[in-house]
Amino acid sequence: MTSEVSRRDFLKASAAGAGFVLTFRIAGGAMSAAEAAGAWEPNTVFTIDPSGIITVHITKAEMGQGVGTALAQIVAEELEADWRDIRIDYPTSDPKYGLMLTGGSWSVNWTFDALSRAGAGARHLLIEAAAKHMNEPASECIAEGNRVRHLPSGKFLTYGDIVSKGLITATLSDEELKKIQLKKPAEYKVIGKWIQRLDVPEKTNGRAKFGIDRFLPGMVYAKVIYPPTRTGSKVVSVDDSEAKKVKGYISTVREGDIVAVVAENYLAAVAAQGKMRVTWDKGPHANVTTESITQDYWNKAKNDTSSPSWVDVGDADGALAKSMKTHEAAFWTDYVGHAPLEPMNCVARYQDGTFDFFSGSQFQTRAMGDLSKLFGVKPEQIRVHQQYLGGGFGRRLEPDVMLEAGLIAKAVGKPVKLIRSREDDIARDFYRSCTLQVLKGGIDSSGAVIAWKNTLVCAYPGERYGGLDKQGRDQFSLNGSDHYYDIPNQFVRAIRAETGMEVGYVRAVAPNYTFFAVETFVDELAHLAGVDPLEFRLRMLGGAPRLQNALRLVADRAGWDRRSSLPKNVGLGIAGVTAQEKASPTWTATVIQARVDPDTGAVRAEKIWCAVDAGLVVNPDGVRNQMQGSLLFGLSNALKERATVKGGQIAQSNFHEYQLLRMNEMPDDVEVYVVQSTEYPTGVGEPGVTTVLPALSNAIFAASGARVRTSPYLPDRVLKALREQKA
Amino acid sequence: MVNLSINGTSHSVDVPPDAPLLWVIREHLQMTGTKFGCGMGLCGACTVHLDGAAVRSCQTQVSQAIGKRITTIEGLDPEGRHPVQLAWIAEQVPQCGYCQSGQIMQAAALLAKNPRPTDQQIVDGMSGNLCRCATYIRIKRAIKRAAQEV
Repeated sequence: MTSEVSRRDFLKASAAGAGFVLTFRIAGGAMSAAEAAGAWEPNTVFTIDPSGIITVHITKAEMGQGVGTALAQIVAEELEADWRDIRIDYPTSDPKYGLMLTGGSWSVNWTFDALSRAGAGARHLLIEAAAKHMNEPASECIAEGNRVRHLPSGKFLTYGDIVSKGLITATLSDEELKKIQLKKPAEYKVIGKWIQRLDVPEKTNGRAKFGIDRFLPGMVYAKVIYPPTRTGSKVVSVDDSEAKKVKGYISTVREGDIVAVVAENYLAAVAAQGKMRVTWDKGPHANVTTESITQDYWNKAKNDTSSPSWVDVGDADGALAKSMKTHEAAFWTDYVGHAPLEPMNCVARYQDGTFDFFSGSQFQTRAMGDLSKLFGVKPEQIRVHQQYLGGGFGRRLEPDVMLEAGLIAKAVGKPVKLIRSREDDIARDFYRSCTLQVLKGGIDSSGAVIAWKNTLVCAYPGERYGGLDKQGRDQFSLNGSDHYYDIPNQFVRAIRAETGMEVGYVRAVAPNYTFFAVETFVDELAHLAGVDPLEFRLRMLGGAPRLQNALRLVADRAGWDRRSSLPKNVGLGIAGVTAQEKASPTWTATVIQARVDPDTGAVRAEKIWCAVDAGLVVNPDGVRNQMQGSLLFGLSNALKERATVKGGQIAQSNFHEYQLLRMNEMPDDVEVYVVQSTEYPTGVGEPGVTTVLPALSNAIFAASGARVRTSPYLPDRVLKALREQKA
Repeated sequence: MVNLSINGTSHSVDVPPDAPLLWVIREHLQMTGTKFGCGMGLCGACTVHLDGAAVRSCQTQVSQAIGKRITTIEGLDPEGRHPVQLAWIAEQVPQCGYCQSGQIMQAAALLAKNPRPTDQQIVDGMSGNLCRCATYIRIKRAIKRAAQEV
């Protein structure tokens, strides 16, 4: 059986904090700082000050997705706020905010209803209070543009008036809140509008503050001397005699296997780091290489018959035996890094038993939970002061750099700024696991797929994210292999392979590799059945009409019918996905036009078309920007990004070796079509990424006849596939 | 002591002459609009202007900047309303925003030298600047928009 528990329930149940809970404050209770200054803070979502300025408190990380603007739009809609009076801030971590986690394309999906009710409930209280003050019935008053107006007389009070006069004395019970009638999409004035992002102006003039831009009085600089293997190294000895001679050197810190040097300024810290001589016992993974990992994965795929299934429907083996035609193919993906352009960094201070961390975080609740245990303090003694994130992509879910900076700050008794070099950042990243998927499929005489088997081998980060399920599976690492195709007999085996290369969740997580295999293999089966790959998919998607719609739409816009008239070495490939998870999919379909150079194996994506149905759209331009970016992020993964392992460590050091897509490699155009919908919103930060590997591999096949089943599609791999196809 | 002229203001800093300009601007003078990305001149996040030309400040020693006009993102326009900056807002280019100071400085230098660049000239001029969020489509569009207005 496919797991019934969604990722959302899984995390909510397991994280240290509760989920997002909206409760209106009780009048007369303890006052917050904002209230002491005369503001009204009906709940943790927003504050209205006496001048009428509404500040929406964004507990999601701003890492490029424009989340603050979108969430503020949801609040402003029901609050009947004037958008010009809306501000946003990013509060410091606090248990009162519940689960502080940004990822999974969940932000709008998880909070839409609660934020709508936060705004609607406050509007209700504002109307009641103003009506009473004006001595008019509330039923004759409406809220509009930051004011409550009595319709028959035209009298009004602004929200600022209502707050500054302290007119609101009532609150709402949870029951009343649940009963509030929310607006219908046809009534929306702010949601769905082309509103410019609030964070954009300061990102064009240098004023936006990222974690790396923070300073504290009396601050010193630290550099950590990292071990020679990704995991398992132990410190044998530390020689800091040469480092001590560096001008500005302050001290050496050693806490377990963390060794750091502290200096008066950044350059002195770098110089001292270079003079440190640390001797290591490299531990059990010192001989791990890409080759040894590949060997291990293949052994597991061939021999492991006891690992749990992830999907088990019907009788896949029996159906394979009865199939008229069968097909088998193996798909490999290499390690892929997060590589945010802002290297991991943190400013930490330890004072009076409390740790303050100034750093961009995607998962403050985890930082509070993990670090409080490690430092032996209470969770509320860990304060994460949120900053803009110079790229997240899942990297800033991990509190590793906060741990280091906190240890060092405590040891030296001064605030510490720790900035990793790019080389350290690449060495210490939590890569997306390399994966092996061996697929078998069978079709009957009508060309229908009747059997499907997948043996999926990968590493799991799950223990750091709420643990594995009872069968020892990490659903975040398996999502997507449970696709929507209507195939009566399916079996997916989930095999865990740990290699000492600690892995993490990288933007779009498992659906990157699962849909690569699923959507390429479906294409191969279509070819085997002699059916148009689009038609082949549509036939099996009776249970997913919105995905059918997205596929038809993108095929139409891309000119799927002109395939036979394309120039030589040019082809169109298609893929449709239901990322991020089966329970709350964003229906996304992509066509890529690719050109393959048969002499060099070089692949160029000439154009990308994408249709996305994410339900109700809060900020249309935000959706487009995320889709454009996620598609090109996927293209970067597909064409460029390859981390390899040597001596238990990532072999690449900087961007000349771990290469990212540049402007000269991008397609001539990326067209995004957003399906108009009033369905409950899902998310758009990730799904686009997952369409690129399969759409591009299918395009390469259409252009050249070669099936590239190893990603990224480096020229030598494409050439090899071309040769195999000819042979 | 090293004397530097940054955005029209003279600064004197106690750093060795081979100190990378980037770290002097960012950590010593705390002008943080200029970003650190790679330290090898591979990403362009640290791009500033030296006498109007785009350079990678992580690869520029302070001694090379003495006596020259250094311009950072903070000084590109006193109001932040350089045509490139306005185009960046109009096209809603930034996502995370971390690379954008460098992108804007690179684009401003490109347009100062070549006010009407072709698509290929834009690509050639901008391919040294990485954007992990891959906002390249909008960067290109914003440069074309700014080119109409420079």
